[in-house]
Amino acid sequence: MKHNVYVMGLAGVAAALALPRPAFAEEAAGGADILIPKMAEFIPALIAFLIILIVLAKMAWPQILATMEEREKRIADSLDEAEKTRQKAIADRKASDDIVTDARRQAAEIVLAARQDAEAERSRILAAAHAEAEDILAKAHTSAEEERRSIYADAAASIADLSVSVASKIVAKTLDEDGEQRRLIERYIEEAGSLNAD
Amino acid sequence: MEAFAKLSGEIQELVAEFSSAPVAGDLTFGLTQYSFWLLVAAVVLAVVMVLFVKKQTLVPHGFFVNGVEYLVEYVQNDVAKGVVGTEWRRHFPFLATIFFFILINNFIGLIPGMKPGTGAIGCTAALALVTFVYFIYFGCKKHGFIGYWKSLAPAGVAFPMNVFVWVIEVFSLLLRPITLAIRLFCNMFAGHIVMGSFSIMAALFAEPLLEHFSAMNALGALPSVAWLAILLVIYAVELIVAFVQAYVFTVLAAVYIQIAEAEGH
Repeated sequence: MKHNVYVMGLAGVAAALALPRPAFAEEAAGGADILIPKMAEFIPALIAFLIILIVLAKMAWPQILATMEEREKRIADSLDEAEKTRQKAIADRKASDDIVTDARRQAAEIVLAARQDAEAERSRILAAAHAEAEDILAKAHTSAEEERRSIYADAAASIADLSVSVASKIVAKTLDEDGEQRRLIERYIEEAGSLNAD
Repeated sequence: MEAFAKLSGEIQELVAEFSSAPVAGDLTFGLTQYSFWLLVAAVVLAVVMVLFVKKQTLVPHGFFVNGVEYLVEYVQNDVAKGVVGTEWRRHFPFLATIFFFILINNFIGLIPGMKPGTGAIGCTAALALVTFVYFIYFGCKKHGFIGYWKSLAPAGVAFPMNVFVWVIEVFSLLLRPITLAIRLFCNMFAGHIVMGSFSIMAALFAEPLLEHFSAMNALGALPSVAWLAILLVIYAVELIVAFVQAYVFTVLAAVYIQIAEAEGH
């Protein structure tokens, strides 16, 4: 039913569209009349279009094109500028990287040199300390030897005195301290000391 | 189906309404409904362009400026640069003006109650005549008056044939403004007749239901929904046609200008 309604509707439209031709032909004295320009439409359209054309061609289009071209140029320039800036940034980055690498290398060299210096200084100080210690030791040895010799000399004198005193008492005879006995005893002690020293 | 009985009369009325009728003066000296809406479109175009020129900045903002710029760039790249070639700058004002003039007229005609200025042959004939004079003028300017008319015959054709070809070419040349005018007019006229027919049908089928609500009338009004749907589709198509016809007219004008200025055929 509904389908039939559509078919009838379309048929009606077709018929109605076909109908106006004779009807129009009757009232307009020929179907081609619709294709004949009317002066009341032609003249105003011509004048209106020419005015619009002249006004826009003088006042609008050049300005519009100029703005659009200026924008195009600015965008192109900005892109060029951005590219240059990017390239410069890459170059700067590389330069700064080089500087940092160089600085690191220099720092490493400085640290190495400082270590070497410190090592040398340490060795020097150590050597000096050793030398001083040995010096001190040598001096101590010398001093001790001298001390020993002095003590020995003192002891020898004391023993000689004591021996003379003891001998005097034993032989009950006072001997002269500068006498023959005393010299004998001292020589004896000296010999004994030299034997001890060796 | 009572609606179908009324349809024939209604559509006759519609067609009669679409034929030119004077709103001031007569059909020779005056204004018809089409020339009235054409003048309205011209004013709208002027206002649009003034607003656009005022608002256009190096950094475009908003739908209006971007939309108009898109169309201007379209004419600039696809029509002027694409068809005319290196001489595009000289012809851009003419091509852009004719494109926007036709476009605004076509769109104005799509607003219910208004008519397209391009829906009358008188108006499209004026645009076609201007185009014709324009490309003949630039052809003569480029090749000289005699040189231009001689250039219509292709070079390298033997004597009797080249005269024959020249006559054919002159006919073809004279037909260009006629085809330009009729193509634009017929597209707009026919499109509006079809839209008018479907809106009449939608109204006729719904009429009984609006007068008296009953189940039978509701059933009878169902086709109205279909007519309305078809009408909406046709309306959408007409929006495209409005643009396409402006584009076609402009591209053909550009092609004729390019041919007129071309070095030999």
